[in-house]
Amino acid sequence: MTLPDPPQMQMDDPRRSPFRNMSVVWLVPVLALLVSFGVAWKSYSDRGMLISITFGAAAGIIPGETTIRYRDVVIGTVEDVRFAPDFQTVIVDTRIDRAVAQTLPAASQFWIVRPEVSTRGISGLSTVLSGVYIEGAWEPVTGSTTRAFAGLDKPPVVQPGREGQRISLRSTDASLLPEGAPVFFRGVEVGRLDTAQVSPGGESAVVDAFINAPYDRYLTTATRFWDTSGFTVKLGPSGLDLNVASLGSLLTGGVAFDNAFTGGLPVTDTTVFNLFVDEASARQSIFTQIGANAVPAVIVFAGSVNGLNAGAPVDYRGLRVGQVTGISAFIETSPLGARNVRLRTAIEIDPQALGLDIQTGQAEVMAFLREAVSRGLRARLSTNSIFSAALKIELVELPDEPAAVIETGADNLPILPSVASDLPNFTATAEGVLERINALPVEEVMQQAISLMAAIEAVAADEGTRAVPEALVKLLEDSRALLNKDDTQALPTELRGAVAELRKVVADLQERGAVDRLASVLESADKIAADLATATQEFPALVSDLRDLAAKAKALRAEELIDQTSRLLASADAVIATDAARALPQDLSNALAEVQGALKELRDGGAVANANAALASARGAADAVASAAGDLPKLTTELEGLVQRANSLIASYSAKSPFNDEAVDLLRNLQTAAKAVTQLARTIERNPNSLLLGR
Amino acid sequence: MANARSAQTHPLTARQAGLVACRRCGRVHGPAVATCLRCGARLSSRDATSLQRVWAWLLAGLVAYVPANVYPMLETTTLGKTSDNTLLGGVVELFVHGSYGVAAIVFFASIIIPIGKFVAISYLALAVSRVGSGAAAHTRHRTFQIVEFIGRWSMIDVFVVAILSSLIQLGSAASVKPGVAALSFALSVAFTMLSAMSFDPRLIWDADKDPVT
Repeated sequence: MTLPDPPQMQMDDPRRSPFRNMSVVWLVPVLALLVSFGVAWKSYSDRGMLISITFGAAAGIIPGETTIRYRDVVIGTVEDVRFAPDFQTVIVDTRIDRAVAQTLPAASQFWIVRPEVSTRGISGLSTVLSGVYIEGAWEPVTGSTTRAFAGLDKPPVVQPGREGQRISLRSTDASLLPEGAPVFFRGVEVGRLDTAQVSPGGESAVVDAFINAPYDRYLTTATRFWDTSGFTVKLGPSGLDLNVASLGSLLTGGVAFDNAFTGGLPVTDTTVFNLFVDEASARQSIFTQIGANAVPAVIVFAGSVNGLNAGAPVDYRGLRVGQVTGISAFIETSPLGARNVRLRTAIEIDPQALGLDIQTGQAEVMAFLREAVSRGLRARLSTNSIFSAALKIELVELPDEPAAVIETGADNLPILPSVASDLPNFTATAEGVLERINALPVEEVMQQAISLMAAIEAVAADEGTRAVPEALVKLLEDSRALLNKDDTQALPTELRGAVAELRKVVADLQERGAVDRLASVLESADKIAADLATATQEFPALVSDLRDLAAKAKALRAEELIDQTSRLLASADAVIATDAARALPQDLSNALAEVQGALKELRDGGAVANANAALASARGAADAVASAAGDLPKLTTELEGLVQRANSLIASYSAKSPFNDEAVDLLRNLQTAAKAVTQLARTIERNPNSLLLGR
Repeated sequence: MANARSAQTHPLTARQAGLVACRRCGRVHGPAVATCLRCGARLSSRDATSLQRVWAWLLAGLVAYVPANVYPMLETTTLGKTSDNTLLGGVVELFVHGSYGVAAIVFFASIIIPIGKFVAISYLALAVSRVGSGAAAHTRHRTFQIVEFIGRWSMIDVFVVAILSSLIQLGSAASVKPGVAALSFALSVAFTMLSAMSFDPRLIWDADKDPVT
């Protein structure tokens, strides 16, 4: 079989070198390769950095699932959970975003967020469904290379990197200030307390607190912190005062602050505030608290300092400028060799309270005091109040005092010159006044006054007294009749003697000055009454005076006088009735005129008017006594008021009192809290696993 | 019988006969004709760049197959928890959970078939560039036909991902998103299909250099 020769064909060589005739299609694998490498590179660079966090336990952490978050944004995933070489801790290897990893300082804090039920509420509820996650907080830095961190067992109270102000609170007792207790500002929770620590010296507890950002601007050196934990019950004159801040703080404790005055200086991280037990003492502290830069000084008092305690105020013109820090005795050897015990009172003076700048140094304060002492500044003891024996130190300016200077004592402290005070006397006086008021024989005085009045009335009502004017009228009528008679001109000589006698009697009456004496007695009674009205402390004297007055009034010779007068008139009558009298000589007229004058004088000189005046002043005295006695009801009213207040205090326990309201509120709060707890308990009961397993 | 088989194995090729067939309409032309006289398609006795294109597409498919296995195929989010599943991981998970049938299908469609295709195509491409056994020519041709037929079924995985991610979109409760691997895998399948299509099966017979008796 022969085949025909095939004709020559135009065809390409199928085995041509691929390099000579490269197909465009090669671009495809090249491109695919490039894309693959690109994707690989991208995912490698996106892979993040491996950091290891050491925890005590890794409850709920699942490699590959558990995320790590920063500000609630997922920044990575846990890759591995392994033990530390010593098997004491768990190391969680976490791959986090490369950019984030470079901002991690060594002080970064990581903790595991789990569902948590506490008195402050329920937190981390979202982790019930999603599982736990690791939360991180730090102050971002740049170019960090730290890759190993220590995790926290529980969330930090103050997370680093948060805006706000860190401060320290100093308290003697931090038992009511647990970690995480809230800080309130006008009832708004603005911060948290950190763990309490004992100060290096051991004398107080120091709690760091963190005030969140918008509220930290309210912090100044004028800020005062006080404890709001628990509740305060105050029993005072205004009744029962119950104060509960919030149920949360009732259970967990808490701290509140406010600015006691305006214009404080800004605070720094190192600022330490004192923590006061309640709001009142916190607010009062601006008057009682002594600045940190107080200047110490010493005052030596000669007399007793009984009643002066450490902490007693040092006042300057009524303003508190310092306080007593301690009192001690020391032995001073006089130049003559005698050894005396002197009392040395240590004080400290706040320059700020004196109006000096807060930064003023001790030397400047001393210069100021030295100058003030040269102007007469002296220390003096005085009482805090009339009703207490507590003493305070007063810095007074007595320019008349002999010149003195500030000396420097043995312990290099300046000694302020002191002056003696009239203090003990004053106390005694005040006490004496009270005692004497207490011992006032008010009832006796009243009875004395009543009996005086009765005596005076008896005198006035006496028949004889009334008879005096009648007899005089009768005498005058008789005299007139006698004068009208013609033969009166012819008076016997005996009559002259009788007239002389009469004149003598009248003169005698004048000389004896019975009326004047009565007037003076009554005047003195008047004066006593006036004294009585002004000087209450002289009550006893008044009483004796009044007793005297009553005795005098009793002993008054009024009856005698009236008797005498009557007798005189009777004798005059008798004289006139004689026949011889009818023959009165001419000079009888003069005598009668004299009698008339005497009688007139008797009338004008005012026995009756004086008696009236005496009665008036006696009434005045009685009034004064009455008004003095009238103060007694006032006292009784006050006592009654006191009793009523006590009653209202007791009554304030009844239905409508604020105590009850607050108590009811508290109960209601407690009820609500109990309900919430019950609900929570039910929830947990229904699904206990969810809470326990965190899933 | 042996003769018949020999005739079957070593037939006269069109090229040997000096003829060239139009690959579009099938008309046989003489050697001097450049374009098909019936349909106007360009005529070539052998595709000169066939092997190049085969290798290129194969390489591209291979490249794309790597991320398809490394990266997650599915991103399943259930109640806030996201889990990623790679091809092989998914198969293992299905197998562990007892879905042996499904595991077998997925394993077959996404592991066996692609790898088999890579092996088969590279075998074919290598075989035509060397002098091979004449007896194998038919086997190779059969292989080629199988590869071309079965290649499209590899897309079953991609379809599953596409259907799942469009069906399961329940917000935070559950959602399925295609991963990087889905795209890579689709590309890989497409590339290998293109590779198979680029292969000129006529080359199989050219390698059969045994003289015709």
